Amino acid sequence: MTRWKLVIAIAAITSVVGAGVVARELSRVGVHQWYSPVQPIAFSHKLHAGDSRIPCLYCHFGARTSRHAGIPPANVCMNCHGILQKQSAEIEKLKELVAIARPIAWTKVHNLPDFVYFNHSQHVIAGVACQACHGHVERMERIEQEAPLTMGWCIQCHRAHSGGANAPAASLDCGKCHY
Amino acid sequence: MAQELTFFKRRPDAETSRRDFLTRIGFTLAASALASCSRGPVQKAIPFLNKPEEQTPGVANWYATTCAGCSAACPLLVKTRDGRPIKIEGNGESPLSGGGTCATGQATVLSLYDPDRLTGPMWHGETITWDEIDRRITERLAAARERGVVLLTNTIVSPSTTALIADWSRRFPKFRHVSYDAVSFSALRQATRECFGTAGVPHYRFDRATTIVGIDADFLGTWLAPVEFTRQHAARRRRALSGEMRHYQFEAGVSLTGSNADRRFGMAASDHGAIALALLRRIAAHAGITEPLPDVDAAIDEHAIAAAADDLWRDRGQSILVCGSNDVSIQVIVHAINAILGNIGATVDVDLPSLQKQGDDGAVDALVEDMNRGDVHVLMTYGVNPAYDLPAGPEFVRAMESVALTISFADRLDETAAHSHAVCPDHHFLEAWGDAEPVKGSFSLAQPTIAPLFNTRAAQESLLKWLGESPDFYSYVRAVWRRELYARQDRYHTFDEFWDHSLHDGVFEDPARGYRSQGSARLDPERWHAAARAIAHDHQRAAAARMPDSYELQLYETVALRDGRHANNPWLQELPDPVTKVTWGNYIVLAPSAAKALEVETGDVVRLAVGDHMCDLPAYVQPGQAQRTVSIALGYGRDRAGKVGNAVGVNAFPLVAAHGGHRRYVRGDVVLQRRTGKQLPLAATQTHHSIEGRPIVKTITLEELLSGTPEVMAPQPSLWPEREGGEHHWSMVIDLNACTGCSACVTACQAENNVPVVGPDEVRRGREMHWIRIDRYVDVAPDNDAALDVAFQPMMCQHCQDAPCETVCPVLATVHSSDGINQQIYNRCIGTRYCENNCPYKVRRFNWFQYAGNQEFDYTTTDPLERMVLNPDVVVRSRGVMEKCSLCVQRIQAEKLSAKQEGRRLADGRIKTACQQSCPANAIVFGDLNDPESEVARLRRSRRHFTVLEELGTRPNVGYLMRVTNGEKTEKPS
Repeated sequence: MTRWKLVIAIAAITSVVGAGVVARELSRVGVHQWYSPVQPIAFSHKLHAGDSRIPCLYCHFGARTSRHAGIPPANVCMNCHGILQKQSAEIEKLKELVAIARPIAWTKVHNLPDFVYFNHSQHVIAGVACQACHGHVERMERIEQEAPLTMGWCIQCHRAHSGGANAPAASLDCGKCHY
Repeated sequence: MAQELTFFKRRPDAETSRRDFLTRIGFTLAASALASCSRGPVQKAIPFLNKPEEQTPGVANWYATTCAGCSAACPLLVKTRDGRPIKIEGNGESPLSGGGTCATGQATVLSLYDPDRLTGPMWHGETITWDEIDRRITERLAAARERGVVLLTNTIVSPSTTALIADWSRRFPKFRHVSYDAVSFSALRQATRECFGTAGVPHYRFDRATTIVGIDADFLGTWLAPVEFTRQHAARRRRALSGEMRHYQFEAGVSLTGSNADRRFGMAASDHGAIALALLRRIAAHAGITEPLPDVDAAIDEHAIAAAADDLWRDRGQSILVCGSNDVSIQVIVHAINAILGNIGATVDVDLPSLQKQGDDGAVDALVEDMNRGDVHVLMTYGVNPAYDLPAGPEFVRAMESVALTISFADRLDETAAHSHAVCPDHHFLEAWGDAEPVKGSFSLAQPTIAPLFNTRAAQESLLKWLGESPDFYSYVRAVWRRELYARQDRYHTFDEFWDHSLHDGVFEDPARGYRSQGSARLDPERWHAAARAIAHDHQRAAAARMPDSYELQLYETVALRDGRHANNPWLQELPDPVTKVTWGNYIVLAPSAAKALEVETGDVVRLAVGDHMCDLPAYVQPGQAQRTVSIALGYGRDRAGKVGNAVGVNAFPLVAAHGGHRRYVRGDVVLQRRTGKQLPLAATQTHHSIEGRPIVKTITLEELLSGTPEVMAPQPSLWPEREGGEHHWSMVIDLNACTGCSACVTACQAENNVPVVGPDEVRRGREMHWIRIDRYVDVAPDNDAALDVAFQPMMCQHCQDAPCETVCPVLATVHSSDGINQQIYNRCIGTRYCENNCPYKVRRFNWFQYAGNQEFDYTTTDPLERMVLNPDVVVRSRGVMEKCSLCVQRIQAEKLSAKQEGRRLADGRIKTACQQSCPANAIVFGDLNDPESEVARLRRSRRHFTVLEELGTRPNVGYLMRVTNGEKTEKPS
């Protein structure tokens, strides 16, 4: 008797744990938090945005006017590296690619599915700091996706900012992001 | 899992351990499969190497250019994203088009990405380089210097191209330029020249007319400049709400214009002359002109003539008569009538004429003769396809064999290019420089909106190259503008300033064109008497030659395909004809009495025989069609248009007749025969045209409008709580008095929202995907078949405040936004279709198949080139998902964002939905109801405002303004 009770107990616990694992895994399908791919050039945000204090919008100027923040075109990099004396293996890679006129194929870290419409400039105009969604980029040697970028995560911020005296309201309408 | 689980008692046999093993493996597999599910494809982000200053990914650039869909040359503003054009809009700076476009113009953006375009020059069917083909052509041209060199083109309204052609005639003594229009107006040109000395077609001003009479002229649909005329017509109708305006239309087939007329009268196809003479007789009597006119024995409605003529006379100087006939004598009579009425210089402008329709039928006929005689050594064809649309097309092809060198500038191996020695493909107009002057004194520029996609070259640059000049048409256009136009203005003091501003604005109006002629031109009475005698003589001869039991045939252009040059455009093939609602093919239109006599119904195949020529077409029974006249649309039956246009419909151009040196689009002696047992079901989007007494479309007479308030329905009680509003409350009002049913909005919406094309089989099942449709409701008078009461109603999602669709979605994929829009969330939809069932307006469209990127639906998204037209701001829907009008939420959001970026308030009228922007009649108004001063709020308070199916209590955010009638109409139940 006891043996069977033990078997059932173990089975029940395993099922519950198993179900929990399955549920957690299923809810993490398509969620790429902590994604930190190796890039073709080991660009360090810590060095540029952190130590050198270059503003985010200097390179990612698209965020001001467009839905895409964009990765800076090589001519932005060469604005400085065309005249700086500093050399390194990574800077060498950049200069080589520019010399042979090959655009740099960065690996996109923050990806949203096609059925989501996200517009950077709307958020920039509303005064949302880059770090709110991208984390402390200025401390990252290699970019890592800090936020889960799930709808629930977006909604909790939209709920917190759903209007008020002088604050622009973050909409909770479905059709504002899914059209 | 190698560790043994010791709490399981080990049994001596191996089965238990195997079962355990499998359980553990199974669990591992599931867990690791799930764990690996969180991987996705790696995405790359590749920025520019050296970003152009004006291009930012995600931000649209707009360029002003000119449409080349037809010779009306409407100025455009083209939206480009990431360096490629994705949407065409009208340029509001144009005094002619007023910012409107037609469906054809909207669809031309898709033809840029047509995979059937030629990618480079060809010589005798083989690909070749430009250098080599230039060498060969220049060699042969040098040898042909003293022999016939002919450039056969369609109407050229570009002053720069005209100047270039003049350069050619100076360089080559035996060079001549022949103009050829597939649908000819050469008789009207000749009549205008004979009567007023003007080389051109008059520029008509319907906005200055109080009485309009049309004889078989579809000026709102396809005749001459439909965008401009629709704008004029709608403007006049708006002003007429405080007064009166009457439009009479005499026609044999049912056209868009006839459907919009206040009074429509039937006629046999060959009665143009008889009607014109009858009108002239009565008007001359009013004017006190006593010379008798010859009689014509035709069965025409004397009451109709009296009504039309009396109104024309009453409003003389503010009336207009137009006729679609291609017979010189008839057009002379029409000019005479307008002259007697004092309309010349007021509503009919011959001093600043239209420069469209320069085709000269006589010159084309002479050219074919010369070709056969061997007098033409080099023939260049530009913008024309005579092998397809010349009535004696095969004869033209035979004649081409006698020409030593035939060069085609066609963009594809069309019917004519396939028989040409050399093909030097022209750019698409969106890739090229150019200019236009469709009406004398009104200029516009055309600039490239994308670098040429293929190894094509502008036809003008080929012509420059072969003259030995630098093939730079941009500099050439600049030089022409500097020489001819810069001097005419004094606003800008350097040419570069003038050029930059003109290029930015897109249009330039010659300041001298404000001049209006002094008075109406006097016409020598002998001229119209001679014309009247000719008409009487023709009529007698035709009557004598008429066979019993024969029918008359009327050939016409459809709004979608026009003369067939756009046959390979799937958007246009699937555009429902505004009058018949049939897509993907042509048919023979029969009157109900004729159908009964032949024992055919819609869809039965009928054989039509004219002389030796025979063709089989499905029948379409049309109430209102003249009893002994049948109508067939031109522009179909192509065999070298491309994968979409080939073998769609039957080519009716061989049926075009000739008379007095001009082509004629009406003829008699047509014999019809039913093809027993054969059927070709038509792909129609609407087959039932009766309103069945329901209050869907409401009309109001002018009297009622001016006198009192029509009955207003009391607000319905509702079980639903009032919705919480947001900052905005988007709403739309459509003026049925201005809407003509032209369907430009349908194609504009398709372009803006990535609406798929489904093909004829799916359309037959009622699965067309258009988010907006134009419903057509017809009432036929019980005693008068021709007096049709037609109403057009654009119908899209009504964005009901109490939407029946929102309450039944099991997954809440359709919900109401805080700003009044009924939202459709594609990624949440599971395809129950309960919402589609519940919608009383039937505006929801379901993706029955994967229409995008699917070889089974090889129309607009299978080729990567075709996908370049997709709007990146709108999701492309997949199978199993419901879609519908979103009130262009992407445009609303974009404009709101723009206002925030620029730190300004969102002004009324800044946000335009795609349908609203394209409408030449400005019938659609969109705005914020929360702003009491907005146009839409004002219109909602109008006496004419109503919503469809109000009694259902859905409280739509889309309202309509009643159509105003002022003729003797059938009693419309409302």
